[in-house]
Amino acid sequence: MSADLAPWIAIAVAAGVTFGTRTLGPVIMARVPETKRVQRFLDSLSTSVIVAIVAGFLARGTLREAAALAAGALVMMLFQKPMLSMSTAMVVAAVWSSYPP
Amino acid sequence: MLTFEGFKAGMRRMAWVALFGVPFGIAFGAAAVEAGLSMAEIVAMSAIVYAGAAQFAMLQLWQQPLPLLSIAFVVLAVNARHFIFGAALAPLLNALPMRQRLLSAFVLSDANFADMQSARQSGSKDLGILVGGGFVMWLSWNATTALGAFIGGSEKDMSRFGIDVAMAAFFVTVVAAPARRASNLLPMGVAALVSVVTLSLLPHGWNVIAGALAGGIAGVAIPGVTRER
Repeated sequence: MSADLAPWIAIAVAAGVTFGTRTLGPVIMARVPETKRVQRFLDSLSTSVIVAIVAGFLARGTLREAAALAAGALVMMLFQKPMLSMSTAMVVAAVWSSYPP
Repeated sequence: MLTFEGFKAGMRRMAWVALFGVPFGIAFGAAAVEAGLSMAEIVAMSAIVYAGAAQFAMLQLWQQPLPLLSIAFVVLAVNARHFIFGAALAPLLNALPMRQRLLSAFVLSDANFADMQSARQSGSKDLGILVGGGFVMWLSWNATTALGAFIGGSEKDMSRFGIDVAMAAFFVTVVAAPARRASNLLPMGVAALVSVVTLSLLPHGWNVIAGALAGGIAGVAIPGVTRER
């Protein structure tokens, strides 16, 4: 394998693998009968995957990230305004970074 | 269903989220130049791989001779959460013609998946929202990684402006609605707990899969959990 070609092969491999991960979920689910239980599983799955991402982010982070997201969650619960919620979380994180406790 | 109206709505909905992704794109472009990638390689990678976390992970392995097998495995591990996104959207995706299905899959990513969940909670079944949002994110990712590669190694400190929490904060806004329903709290709690417990036990990113599957199973196992749409 020529050294000039290697990066392009690596990029093509990464693209193929990534596209595979994006297409395989629906392909597998097409072979599973769509019963009530499967629908309930998928419904819980859709929320759970986002919760799992956020939980992992918090576990790797510090009190700063937890405070920021808690503030964002509180604003979302109170006002149901995504932009306001996100901005609050970011402001809390930014202020926390500027003034270390 | 995939409509042009949905596509436009998805673009509008995700435009401001894409804005928060700008620093990440610039950071990736700059880091890729430092790792020894050419401008053409960076542009091609962002255009056809289009997976931020996986691309950052690839840079860690970018030394001659390139370890193709390791790259393939790391990209698989980091992107494995896409299986879950795709499975969760399967009832909608599998109803589309093949071409639209492939297009939807190509732009499927964390942010537009989460946005599509919000749309579904409000009753929409139009995957145009997913594709439109994905298209905006894709455009922004390509433009900003190229810009980062062009201006080079001037990585900004993203924590100063709170940009590092932007994506997680967006996800919080998406799960806030289902969290208001008591029957969802247990599956969500299980997902969070399993994700955290398995964080250090599993390869990078697989804690998300474990947490999501555990939450999904909890949703089926617990009687009285009602359907979300």
